[in-house]
Amino acid sequence: MFAQTYGATTLGINGELIIVEVDMSNGLPGLDIVGLPDTAVKESRERVRAAIKNAGFEFPVRRITINLAPADMRKDGSGLDLPIAVGILAASGQIEPESCLRYVFISELSLDGKLRGISGILPRAATIAEAGKENIFVAPDNAQEAVFAGTAAVYAPATLEDVVLHLRGEKLLVPVIKHAMTHSETVAFDDLAEVQGQLVARRAIEIAAAGGHNILLVGPPGSGKTMLARRLPSILPALTEHEALEVTKIYSIAGLLKNNTGLVDNRPFRNPHHTISDAGMIGGGRVPRPGEVTLSHNGVLFLDELPEFPRQVLEVLRQPIEDGEVTISRAAAQLSYPAQFMLVAAMNPCPCGFLGDSSRECTCSVADIRRYIKKISGPLLDRIDITISVPRLEYSEITASGANESSAVVRQRVEEARSRQLSRLSKYGLFANSQMGHRQVKTTCKLTSEAQNLLEQVFEKMNLSGRGYDRVLKVARTIADLAGEDKIKAQAVAEAIHLRNNIKENAL
Amino acid sequence: MAGVAGEKLAQEYLLKNKYKILATNYRTATGEIDIIAEQRTMLVFVEVKTRSSDLYGSPGEAVTLHKQRKITQTALWYLKQTGQWEARVRFDVMEVWLKDDIKNARLNHIINAFGES
Repeated sequence: MFAQTYGATTLGINGELIIVEVDMSNGLPGLDIVGLPDTAVKESRERVRAAIKNAGFEFPVRRITINLAPADMRKDGSGLDLPIAVGILAASGQIEPESCLRYVFISELSLDGKLRGISGILPRAATIAEAGKENIFVAPDNAQEAVFAGTAAVYAPATLEDVVLHLRGEKLLVPVIKHAMTHSETVAFDDLAEVQGQLVARRAIEIAAAGGHNILLVGPPGSGKTMLARRLPSILPALTEHEALEVTKIYSIAGLLKNNTGLVDNRPFRNPHHTISDAGMIGGGRVPRPGEVTLSHNGVLFLDELPEFPRQVLEVLRQPIEDGEVTISRAAAQLSYPAQFMLVAAMNPCPCGFLGDSSRECTCSVADIRRYIKKISGPLLDRIDITISVPRLEYSEITASGANESSAVVRQRVEEARSRQLSRLSKYGLFANSQMGHRQVKTTCKLTSEAQNLLEQVFEKMNLSGRGYDRVLKVARTIADLAGEDKIKAQAVAEAIHLRNNIKENAL
Repeated sequence: MAGVAGEKLAQEYLLKNKYKILATNYRTATGEIDIIAEQRTMLVFVEVKTRSSDLYGSPGEAVTLHKQRKITQTALWYLKQTGQWEARVRFDVMEVWLKDDIKNARLNHIINAFGES
């Protein structure tokens, strides 16, 4: 009259093993689900009832109580349909209760008793493998994702009937075999070779990519800011396996993973429209779901037309940029999602877009420009290490047919620079120059005496702040890494100062 | 009255199918149960609905959620009165279609038609 099965749910980007206890007693027939189920779980009552009946089994005329343990954690999603159904069949003696204990069941049920795929399989399956469970039942749609996650044997029957026949030992299923990793997801990135001219900007995004620095592209409309930004992922180093797993977990939870694609092996590139809300940006909902900053984890978050974003949305970016993760508190749950992304922003220099253009007159008043720049807060600009202006191209540059450097070549240099950073910074738990704090800057950014002199002069002349000083050093460190130098030379410092973020000063 | 005739037919049907009738028209403050029967170890509460046409929907449809609650409440009273807290219980609905003559009546026994909640 009692049976127990295992299921799983998600909490943030991690899975949690859930114990489903089913008790059956006499009394008024009914089905109660306790243990903080949310609406989707509560509704499983009707799905399970119909599925059991239509799969050709008997739904017991008993008082059924189902407890989802641990009882203090909110369970969401429809993935608990299958463990509940199997638990009911076991408690009513239609399956041997002992036989279910070796398995974890994760699937939604359709009314006719078929198994339906759900999102968030990967983190669940990973947790199950860690918890030492060796067998998982999932829907056929989720089979490859589950296989990928861990060491457990995965069974993917089409119907509830197949599950029961397997548990009864009448018709055994064969575990799903892992497909060879498909690279179908590999979108052919736009190549940097397609960008004409813009040598300075190309160099800037190479430095940004090499050090993981946030970058702001400023230029008149049509000058190629968006084009450059879109090509940034193509020069970033390939995802490590650990990073790829993180990204895949996030996409699995967000339901953006198509079946049988295996790991996401491209760096994410997210390009939210400027009408996005703050909840859409950092994540939100009653039980918080990942937002754009989390979806661009280990990749690029591109904000085109930066001043058009609502101020509130830009302000909420500050914490994730600083901490590499975002914590969202709602009544139902408080969750932390990773948000280690590279911010790439693009904007016009003024409302009309032609401030500083060589041939077209800017029609904006000084007050207009000031108001425009003021839309971006100082603290946010403070977190952007590199600013570069992207001027309009001359006719000769657009039509030039000379071959440009391709992404693959640049990427090679970026990867070398990154590996130098990693060997220097791994003892601090960091992997890119942009993540360095003041202490690391002090110990790792050694200057030549010449460079020191230069920096001293500049510091006095330009009234650099302490933070501004650190930022210049960080960028200079990256430039030196690209050149393969251990000590930062004067040349690197000069270039770093040139790339410094000075948009506020220029506008005023 | 059509309703009384329908309940009579339902009783005959249950007896024919080896049910033991324990009570009919059991009435408390919370409502009334048409037939209380026993099938082996199971207590069965039967609500009989009689109609002469489907013009206003099928008889079974008339057993609304509100009506179901009244019946389960009344059933609890019965269980308490007879001290059978641990009994196995089932709620059935018996649909009866009565045309002008009793001979032409048609029955539909819906087993386990509803439960609590």
